[in-house]
Amino acid sequence: MSRQTFDPITLGILWDRLISIADEIVNSLVRTSFSTNVRESYDLSCVVFDAGGRSLAQGSYSVPSFTGTAPDTLRHMLARFPADTLQEGDVVITNDPWLGTGHLFDINVMQPVFRDGRIVAYVMSITHLPDIGGGGFSATARTVYEEGLCLPVSKLYRAGQVDELLVELIRTNVRVAEETVGDLMANVACTTVGGRMINEFMSEYRIDSLEGLSDQIVQLSEQALRTEICKIPDGIYRNAIDVEGVAGNLHLACAIEVKGDTVHVDFTGTSRCVDVAINVPLCYTRAMVCYSIKVLTTPRIPNNDGSLLPITLSAPEGCVLNPKPPYATGGRHVIGHFITPLMFGALAEAMPDKIQADSGMLNLINVQGTTREGKGVSSIFFCSGGFGALAGKDGAAATPSPSNMTGTPIEVWENLTGLFIEEKSLLPDSGGSGEFRGGLGQRIRMRNDSGHTMTASCIAGRTEFPPRGILGGRDGSRRVVMLNGEVIHPKGRYLLQPGDTMTLLEPGGGGVGDPRQRPREKVQADLALGYISPEAALRDYGYEGQT
Amino acid sequence: MDYRAGIDIGGTFTDFALFNDATGEVWTHKQLTTPHDPSIAVIEGAARLLQDAGVPIADVATIAHGTTLVTNAVIERKGASVAMVVTRGFADVLDIAYERRYDLFDLRLGFPTPVVPRNLRFEVDERRAYDGAVLRPLANLAALQDRLATAIAQQKVEAVAICLLHSYVNAGHEEEIARWLRETFPGLHVSTSASVFPFMREYERWTTTCLNAYVQPVVDRYLSLIESGLERLGFHGKFFIMSSSGSTLAPALARRFPVRMLESGPAAGALMSARHGRTLGEMQVLSFDMGGTTAKGCIIKGGAPLKTYQIEVAHVHEFKKGSGFPVKIPVIDMIEIGSGGGSLAEIDARGVLRVGPRSAGANPGPVCYGLGGERPTLTDANLILGYLGASSFLGGRMRLNFDGAAAAMGRHVGQATGMDALHAAWGVYDMVCEDVARAFRVHASERGVDYRNCSMIAFGGSGPVLGSRVAHKLKIPRVICPWGAGVMSAFGLLSSPQGFELVRSDRTSLASLAEDTFCEALRKLAAEASAYLEASGAKPGELTHRFALDMRYEGQGYEVEVRLPPGTHLGAAYRSLPESFAAAYQEVFGLSFTGRPVEIVNWKVEAEGPVPGRRAAYHLKHSSRAAAGASKGARAAYFPELGIVQACPVYDRYALVAGDTVDGPALVEENESTCVLLPGDRAVIDRQLNLVIELGAPS
Repeated sequence: MSRQTFDPITLGILWDRLISIADEIVNSLVRTSFSTNVRESYDLSCVVFDAGGRSLAQGSYSVPSFTGTAPDTLRHMLARFPADTLQEGDVVITNDPWLGTGHLFDINVMQPVFRDGRIVAYVMSITHLPDIGGGGFSATARTVYEEGLCLPVSKLYRAGQVDELLVELIRTNVRVAEETVGDLMANVACTTVGGRMINEFMSEYRIDSLEGLSDQIVQLSEQALRTEICKIPDGIYRNAIDVEGVAGNLHLACAIEVKGDTVHVDFTGTSRCVDVAINVPLCYTRAMVCYSIKVLTTPRIPNNDGSLLPITLSAPEGCVLNPKPPYATGGRHVIGHFITPLMFGALAEAMPDKIQADSGMLNLINVQGTTREGKGVSSIFFCSGGFGALAGKDGAAATPSPSNMTGTPIEVWENLTGLFIEEKSLLPDSGGSGEFRGGLGQRIRMRNDSGHTMTASCIAGRTEFPPRGILGGRDGSRRVVMLNGEVIHPKGRYLLQPGDTMTLLEPGGGGVGDPRQRPREKVQADLALGYISPEAALRDYGYEGQT
Repeated sequence: MDYRAGIDIGGTFTDFALFNDATGEVWTHKQLTTPHDPSIAVIEGAARLLQDAGVPIADVATIAHGTTLVTNAVIERKGASVAMVVTRGFADVLDIAYERRYDLFDLRLGFPTPVVPRNLRFEVDERRAYDGAVLRPLANLAALQDRLATAIAQQKVEAVAICLLHSYVNAGHEEEIARWLRETFPGLHVSTSASVFPFMREYERWTTTCLNAYVQPVVDRYLSLIESGLERLGFHGKFFIMSSSGSTLAPALARRFPVRMLESGPAAGALMSARHGRTLGEMQVLSFDMGGTTAKGCIIKGGAPLKTYQIEVAHVHEFKKGSGFPVKIPVIDMIEIGSGGGSLAEIDARGVLRVGPRSAGANPGPVCYGLGGERPTLTDANLILGYLGASSFLGGRMRLNFDGAAAAMGRHVGQATGMDALHAAWGVYDMVCEDVARAFRVHASERGVDYRNCSMIAFGGSGPVLGSRVAHKLKIPRVICPWGAGVMSAFGLLSSPQGFELVRSDRTSLASLAEDTFCEALRKLAAEASAYLEASGAKPGELTHRFALDMRYEGQGYEVEVRLPPGTHLGAAYRSLPESFAAAYQEVFGLSFTGRPVEIVNWKVEAEGPVPGRRAAYHLKHSSRAAAGASKGARAAYFPELGIVQACPVYDRYALVAGDTVDGPALVEENESTCVLLPGDRAVIDRQLNLVIELGAPS
């Protein structure tokens, strides 16, 4: 059968429609899901594949760590259950960190899409589950066995019949069974919705097979990426940074080789993996590599197989960016997110117009205890440091990077937790000075008003190594976490007695370019609005004028 | 006093309608908007309309007015200088915003600059807990006095937004500050966040309040101009302003809550669709309004537009959701689609065609306007396809440049796609129809509405050109192009009742909620909403109340709105709440859970006066067929169903009379638009001169 080809107008219509289908799959998932991770942070991904397993469209909302993991996950699933053995109504799942997205918390749910008795597509949905048993979501586990239940590639449904034993197994092993199984089933439901929409789409446009369409989508996306890569001068670009681990610092190193229209990233020189749950399986490392290249080259090209093809990577086996089982991986994002600033730093000289200075990044504090009214509470407080500046653009205040979250409204937080927020304000002078200034961080003071002892688990970095400025821009301020005025470790677990106060100083983003080149009216405006102090104006910007 | 008038200001024209309740007669008028001072056209046009109709202004009982004044002030940042009084420690909430990126890949994403600059945000000592208890008494207001006086003198501050944490639970401190401000600085406009809209979530509530303050002086001046102008004409009736939610506000309420007028303009169009829907017996309608830069759509269900309580305005980054201000107001639930007649066609980074959201605007406009536009737009495509006539555009007042449009289309779209100008134009047109259809599909499915049971009402300059094609894509059976859609939105104003909506955030578990508490809370809310309307002259006996609750399963983040059926006994409504919630949840999500605890998050009431002129019958003056009949000959037009460009009959909309039928393919021309009938479509002219198109079977 010869493959259909489409003119650029029809192709645009069909392509946008496929993305819209992926977006609708995400919508139905988000609305029926119970977990905050899915609702507020879009810690999820929905992907449509053709019958050959090439990804065609991904929901527009998801987090960077899902850039391109799904095609590999599908290959692993099809290796276990070959396509010609799949039946209509089969649902295949796994949460294996090395086959999925790098930690047990993410469940990957896949359904083949049948049309006239044959597979024409696959739909996959991935979400961060509320719980998966084991030690719970933290960075403290020593091996993956302590982290919870690992589900090998298995069939949750066979021809529409649910495997009750598998559901029971999950239910028995997790803390919040209703929510966890509810979220699992929301994934199943949205892949069913996706299958139905793909069938309607094919009927409407009289398409028998998606292969012709995917040839064109993948080829155009790949070509667009290759064209942009060609604009980067050939060469090997190196960078190394230190990041905070749990016991001691870790060294991350990369060499980015740009050759013609390809990019290869090698992580030789990176520290060995560690006995705490911050190791980054290679699938996650790859996702962050692809994401970092994508934002620098083709931010407007929708995600699909084509955006992965020109990029390859290697990391020595056993390094923290390529650990093998049974190393623990629960908090892999804590280290994995640094792949973006690591690579940006390497490419700063080669792509000065595109590179972003370092960002302050996220802070999240998992709080557990009892409210004043005696209700149990377990909630995560999200807040963010400043966004790094770009050539031509100041960084935004309190904006997450590279991952995405939504900050918690004060009125909602106080209502839910019994913790009282005394202050949430911008930190003047925290943004790295520069011709383009880094975004400001913030100061948050939070008091335990619940009348009970609470626990707070912090998962953050940037307390030793500040967000770096580039091309002459200055560094942003460091993160500081304090309990009753005493500085504490940002990856620890603490008891908050009634009346205890935690203070968070969220880092500012790095600046870009020589601060003395900053237009004087911008310095003056920053001064007038209190984003910088008169001392900083004089010291960094050489500005002696009045406010 | 049998007459009522509607006046609707649009970007280009200000439209007028005069209606006689006793006889059903309607007169209409339109004239150019006067952007520098819109009140000029309003007063002039009102005088002209009455003169033409021979009606003394003393006989006009009410005038209802819709205006884009507030939207424009916010988008163009032409509001007043505003200061903010805020709980100590939280002045930066406006900058910190959501702490979220709305685009994960575009590092150059932008966020709107708050309307209150950081150095005009004054912190006060006070604090309430989440339950309203005072943790720190309000103190030291006098310390503000000098700083505010300086701000008023130097930064020309005209309005103050008072924004305190948890004020939606207890507004005591906000009110105390407001009293003090009014006494100390009598000329200032004052908005308190608890009165503007008492929702939980400080960033949205405060942003809404600051915008309210930002437009308050502008609206106050504008309304004074209109009121004095009408008074000079001798008007002694009642004057109302259209709000975003489709009900009207007396001037005193509009001055207090001008932010509620943000969508005043589009609301008039939606109301017109609703009115036509009722007249035509269409209970489910897709209202589709496409103008020069954007298209607006909404769903009319049971004769009324769907409502919501949040919109986003003044996007700073390519119409992207997340790049504007979130505003909490009662508003008709509209989709905004970033494509209109002026939308530019271009080949995007992928190498495929994209139309909009970039727009040629009014200046330079489409290539065919000959005003210097060089890049092809949807309007250029419509001309190339033959849907618009080069010599009949705007009733022949503006000649369009066909050759220029075709050359630009060939150069910018054709060359990259290997097509001639005609097929490139078809691509542009079809792409926009797809975008509109997709937007409706998503909007409807998110609201649990089966759009295939709807009819579409298409209006605006480009709406009737695309309506039938979009309807074909959505597989809906009928498209209605109302007569003289432009002026009919002024007519829509006349069917809008006076109304006011109130909301309270009070998270309450259903399990611990007693029937008495429930009924009492709603009665209290209803009485409060009524008091607003009674203060502006509504009669207590005439007011009706509709209740709605935002509910969710405990632990979920999304609320589903549960509307209590009008007129239900509150006790009965209380007892059936679990079932009502399950049904509403099922409608949106396709499933519901049994045995999960449920909670109420927001309590809402809509108080409404009687709908004026309920009678459906109206008839237009001055509509009679010219002796020559309605045919204007034929024009070459392209329909892919027919394969080639061929002669297509053209009709004069103004010469068609009730009972006439038109078979597609056909082009029915009116001054501001053309209704395009596809092959197989058949249109009938109804008694109100609406063009009712029954769609042909898909080819």
